[in-house]
Amino acid sequence: VIPSPGDGWVRLSPRKLLLDPVKAIGQAIVPVVVALVGISQSDMRFWPVVLPLAVVAPLVLGALPWLTTHYRLTDSQIQVRSGILNKTTSTAPLDRVRSVDLEASPLHRVLGLQKVQVGTGVDDDRITLDALASADAHALRTALLGRRVVAGPQVVEQSYATGPGTADLPADLPAEPAPAPAPLPVPAPALLATIDWSWLRFAPFSLGRLVLLVGGLGVLSQVADELPIWNETTATSAWEWLTQFAVVAVVVVLAVGGLALWLVVSVAGYVLQWWGFRLVREHGSLHLTAGLLTTRSITVEEAKVRGVEVTEPVLMRLVGGAELSTLATGVQSGVTQVLPPCPRTVAVGVGEAVLETPGPLTGALAEHGPRARRRSWFRQLRDALDLIALLAVGWWWLELTWWWLAALGAALLAAAAVVGEASYRHLGHALVGDHLVAGSGTLARVRTVLETDGIIGWVVSQGWWQRRIGLADLTATTAAGAERVVVRDVRLEVAVALADAATPGLLRDFVVPAGT
Amino acid sequence: MTDEGAGPIVPGPVLRAPANRVSPQAIGFWTLSALLGDAVLVVGALVAWLVVPGAPGWVGLLVLLLAVAAVAHVVLMPRIRYRVHRWEVTDTAVHTREGWIGRETRIAPISRVQTVDSRQGALMRLFGLASITVTTASAAGPITVDCLDADTAAHVVARLTAITAATEGDAT
Repeated sequence: VIPSPGDGWVRLSPRKLLLDPVKAIGQAIVPVVVALVGISQSDMRFWPVVLPLAVVAPLVLGALPWLTTHYRLTDSQIQVRSGILNKTTSTAPLDRVRSVDLEASPLHRVLGLQKVQVGTGVDDDRITLDALASADAHALRTALLGRRVVAGPQVVEQSYATGPGTADLPADLPAEPAPAPAPLPVPAPALLATIDWSWLRFAPFSLGRLVLLVGGLGVLSQVADELPIWNETTATSAWEWLTQFAVVAVVVVLAVGGLALWLVVSVAGYVLQWWGFRLVREHGSLHLTAGLLTTRSITVEEAKVRGVEVTEPVLMRLVGGAELSTLATGVQSGVTQVLPPCPRTVAVGVGEAVLETPGPLTGALAEHGPRARRRSWFRQLRDALDLIALLAVGWWWLELTWWWLAALGAALLAAAAVVGEASYRHLGHALVGDHLVAGSGTLARVRTVLETDGIIGWVVSQGWWQRRIGLADLTATTAAGAERVVVRDVRLEVAVALADAATPGLLRDFVVPAGT
Repeated sequence: MTDEGAGPIVPGPVLRAPANRVSPQAIGFWTLSALLGDAVLVVGALVAWLVVPGAPGWVGLLVLLLAVAAVAHVVLMPRIRYRVHRWEVTDTAVHTREGWIGRETRIAPISRVQTVDSRQGALMRLFGLASITVTTASAAGPITVDCLDADTAAHVVARLTAITAATEGDAT
């Protein structure tokens, strides 16, 4: 029933036998304990039968995946097969491997294991090997990615033939890729960025983790409902106790407490996520490692990195911080954050190092003109007016004082004007060398850079109002990142000229001079 | 054109319309499908107004307005669409234009096309129409040519399939 390795098929690390039962026990602990308690209350006679079963079952279930999962690396494919009854075999052609990610939870790390995920052309479909011994995992990564440097698409067959004995990989993988028939030397690993703990100052200004905190507090409040101290009498007395003090003082204490909590959570999260952060370029790939408890090691082939995106969320901008992501094809979400929140100069520097082109992230963008500004303003003002109308209905319903609504409305309109102007100032576009640059964002300032080679189509769309004033949204479609880069509210002829310049030849048949 | 702001006004290049119109039958198809959709809406509103007791008179006016808008939609939309919708397949690119209130122009190089699908709903069959969808590796990039007559659609699909089969690479 259980196939034995052979013919190049290799099992996962035997230490998986320790890993899986622990995980299985962790998942099964609650039902098992409940069952045990239930049985023990009714009858003691079954104990000698039940107890071994409860211990052995997770062990057996945990061992099955190791016994039934094999993988091998052939000349042209990586293959994984698993299952007893439902046998599945996943294969990926080696020239379609775009990324190899290693991940290790604390449990993995104690056992010296790594979980390997191989990303191929199809976004959601990844080959997962959980788990390999660390050395094997790294060797497999080097083999999968190192081979790609050697084997350009044209010389695939040849270099596979000259490759090392691939049938018995990864037991004795070479640390370096095989000698290449191509004259290109393999460049030495280059360190692009490493953690600088002075960047910790940006942690509280990055609100990504706030969602987690709020979620945690939500759970906590549910638990608090169950606590015995929280009943009606204590609530009423607590409320009376509260009202005796100045409400202001209570609010201040709450605010300070919340801020302190946020500081601790954000800094701790930053340290956990980015401990030992390194971004390295080697074997034609970008290689990121980070993590204090769970370590991640993400590798993306550079040829598949089609662009970068620098994001400056509004709070981070106040302190001069930014984040950097790469836009790649074949990575799970396409957008990979490759730098922790860090100074803008660092994000821009690393971004341009990744692009290997100076300019796209630092150069000025072409403005979109007064009409685009008017549209940005109108868009925000319209939203504000919608909100005010809704509020007015509520006010009318609840018969509240109209003064408050007037004040609130004025504040909303002022905020809309500020946001409208900000979103206009973030607009812009440029064509720097063979990179398309688009500025966007309402509160956050976002600059997206996309290689023109990565553009696989154009969409020019105009709403009714845009047509009246001659503006258009130009979308460059791509397989990388969020699959689109939008240049919003740009003059139609500028959009056409930009698209024509970015992908020479593609629009040639369709472009005619103005006035014909 | 005095408030352009972004540099001197040079008459820039413009995109010409794609060469081919869709099938004239499309007007009938769009009219019928709009009629079916709008009729449900208007009749529903009318029934609701008649059934709910004590509904004020201005609600009736709203229903009337809705009916007028629906008639305008059914009469105008298909004719405007027919004037706007165009398509063209050259040896190197697929180019379409669509919309009736707005305009959307899509261009994709044939070398990046991954799949070519054609679709024919029950109503479309009644009018002898078919739609073609050309997808690329980008989720933002599918190009649909609505309402070609079925023969043309089959011909275009065959041609596109032949061209894309001849191109190499993974089209990303």
